[in-house]
Amino acid sequence: MTNKHTILIIEDEKNIGNYIETIVNSNQYKSIRARNGMSGISLCVSHHPDLILLDLGLPDVDGMDVLRKIREFSTVPVIVISARTQETEKVEALDAGADDYVTKPFGSEELLARIRTAIRHRILAGSFAHREPSYQRDGLVIDFDKRLVTLQGEAIHLTQIEYKLVSLLARNAGRVLTYDFILKDIWGPYADTDNQILRVNMANIRRKIEKNPAEPHYIFTEIGVGYRMLE
Amino acid sequence: MKGGLWFLEKQEKHRLLTNIAVTSVLMTLATAAAAAFFHYSQNSTSVAIVYVLTVMLVARYTSGYVPGIVASVVGVVYVNYVFTYPFMKMNFTMDGYPVTFMGMMVVSGITSTLTTRFKRQSQLLNEREKLLMEAEKETMRANLLRAVSHDLRTPLTAVIGLASAYLEEGSRLSEEEKAHMVKGIQEEAGWLLNMVENLLSVTRIRVGDVKIATSPEPLEEVVSEAVQRFRKRLPQAVVHVRVPEEFLMVPMDAALIEQVIINLLENAVYHSGVEGDIDLFVERAQGELEFHVRDYGNGIRPERLARIFDGAGMESNESGDSHKGMGIGLTICKTIITAHQGIIQAFNRDQGAEFIFTLPLGEEQAYDEQTYDPDH
Repeated sequence: MTNKHTILIIEDEKNIGNYIETIVNSNQYKSIRARNGMSGISLCVSHHPDLILLDLGLPDVDGMDVLRKIREFSTVPVIVISARTQETEKVEALDAGADDYVTKPFGSEELLARIRTAIRHRILAGSFAHREPSYQRDGLVIDFDKRLVTLQGEAIHLTQIEYKLVSLLARNAGRVLTYDFILKDIWGPYADTDNQILRVNMANIRRKIEKNPAEPHYIFTEIGVGYRMLE
Repeated sequence: MKGGLWFLEKQEKHRLLTNIAVTSVLMTLATAAAAAFFHYSQNSTSVAIVYVLTVMLVARYTSGYVPGIVASVVGVVYVNYVFTYPFMKMNFTMDGYPVTFMGMMVVSGITSTLTTRFKRQSQLLNEREKLLMEAEKETMRANLLRAVSHDLRTPLTAVIGLASAYLEEGSRLSEEEKAHMVKGIQEEAGWLLNMVENLLSVTRIRVGDVKIATSPEPLEEVVSEAVQRFRKRLPQAVVHVRVPEEFLMVPMDAALIEQVIINLLENAVYHSGVEGDIDLFVERAQGELEFHVRDYGNGIRPERLARIFDGAGMESNESGDSHKGMGIGLTICKTIITAHQGIIQAFNRDQGAEFIFTLPLGEEQAYDEQTYDPDH
C-alpha cells in the first residue's frame, strides 16, 4: 500500500470544497473536509494531515485565527485560499506562518503545483542531508556548494547580494517569498523596511538571467507580495 | 427640519461672533496705531487715514454691512473725541466734519458692498462647480451601471443556459458536444471574472478623489505581472512585450494599471476581428511613459472611435461579437488613467488599431537613474 499524503480542506463553500476534493482525490492524495474553522482545528489535531488548504473566509472564526491557532502546535504546511482582495491579506497570512497562497479563482494545475511544492519543501526542511545541492531548470543552473550560476552553460556574474537573492529564491523554488522575508534574510533584521533596494537588485538580476525582463521565465513578480522562482 | 434650523442658527451665531471679534480687534489695533501716530506727529489727518483704512479692512474681513458701518461710526467718534481739538470732548461744529463722516461712511459702504458681492459670487461658482462634478460622476455611474447590467447578464445567460442544457439533454449529447458546452461555460465564466475584477478596481478609486494613492513600482514588474495574468486567462493569444532597457520606477497603483493593460490586451483579442499577434510596448517620452497596445486586425469603426471610452457604442447591435462589449473595460481604463493624471487615446493604423496611454514619471526618477548601475 502506498502511503498517501493526507490533505485537510477547511472550506465552508460546498461547491468549492467539492471541487478541491475532486482534484485532490484524483491526484493520489487523501482528503478530509472541515466546513468551519473550529472543526478544522480539531481535525488537524486528531488526523495530523500532511497539508492544510485553508480558506480565509470562514463562517465561525476568521481564517487568520485558525492559522495562528494551528501554528501554536503544528508546523504542517498550510496553503491559504484567498479571494482576490488586498495584497496585505496575503502578506499577513504568509507572515503568520502560511506556506503559500492561491487566489480564487484558481485552476486545478495551479493548486496541485502549490500542494506539491509545499509538501516537498516540508520534507526537505525536515532533513538537512537531503538538501538539494543545486537548482536546475530550463538551462539555469545554480550550484549552491560552489556558489556558481550558469545560464545555458555560460557563467553569470552576480554580486554577493544578487547571488544571495537568487539562491534564496531557488532554494524555495515554487514558493512565494515576501519582501519582508527576503529583506530580513539578506540584509538582516535591522534592514530598512523600504523594499526599493530589493527591487533594484531584482531588476539587475533580471537583466542578467532573463532574456526579456518584461517576460521573465525564471523569477516571477507578485506585486505587493513578493517574488516566486520557477519550480 | 428642526435640525436644519438649529444648524442655521448656529451658523448665524458663529458669523455674528466672528464679526464682532474681527471688528473689535481691528478697531483696537487702529486705535493703538492712531495713538502712536498722534503721540509723535500731533497730526489728526494721519489718524483719520488710519481709521479709514481700518474701516476698509473691517468691511473686507467681515460679512454684511453692519460691521463696516459700526466701524466707521466708531472711527468718526474716536477721531472727533480723542484726536482732534478739543481733546476728550465731542465737537460737531468743526469745519469739514460732515465730509469726514460721510467719507468714512461711503468708504465702508462701498467696500462692504464690493466684498460681499465678491464673496457671494465665488460661493456661487464653487457651488456650481460642485454640482457639475456631481452630475459628471452621476453620468459615469449611470454609464457604468448600464454597461454592467448588459455585460454581466449576457455571459450569465450563456452560463445558465449551457449548464441547464447539459443537465437536461446530457444523455442525448455526444462527448464532443458536452466538452464543447463545458468549454463554453468556462469561457463565459472567465469573461465574467474579468468583469468583476474591473468592478473591484473601480471601488479602489474612492468616490470624490481626484488623485489616487500611488507608490513607485518597477515598470517591468507591473507589465510582466499583467501579461502573466492575461496569459493565464487567454493562453492562446500571442503578445510581444517590450519595455525600456533602463530600470524605471513609476508612481502608480499597480493593480489598477495592470487592469488597464489586461483590458486593452483583451480588447485587442476580442475586437481586432482576427487572431493575430498583439504588440505591447512601453516607451519613455518627455517626463512620461507611453504604453502602446497595438493589434493588426480590422481596426475600430470611425463612428465608434470618438466615444470609445465613454461606454458608448456598446448597445449597437451591428458589432460582430456584440456580447463581448468592451463597454465597462474601456470606460474603466479611462477612469484609471485619468486618475493617474495620464491620457488614454485610441487610433486606427494602416492595419489594426492602437491604444496609447501615458503615465507621468515621478520626480524620484532622477534619483533612480543615478543609483541604477547596469554594468556593476
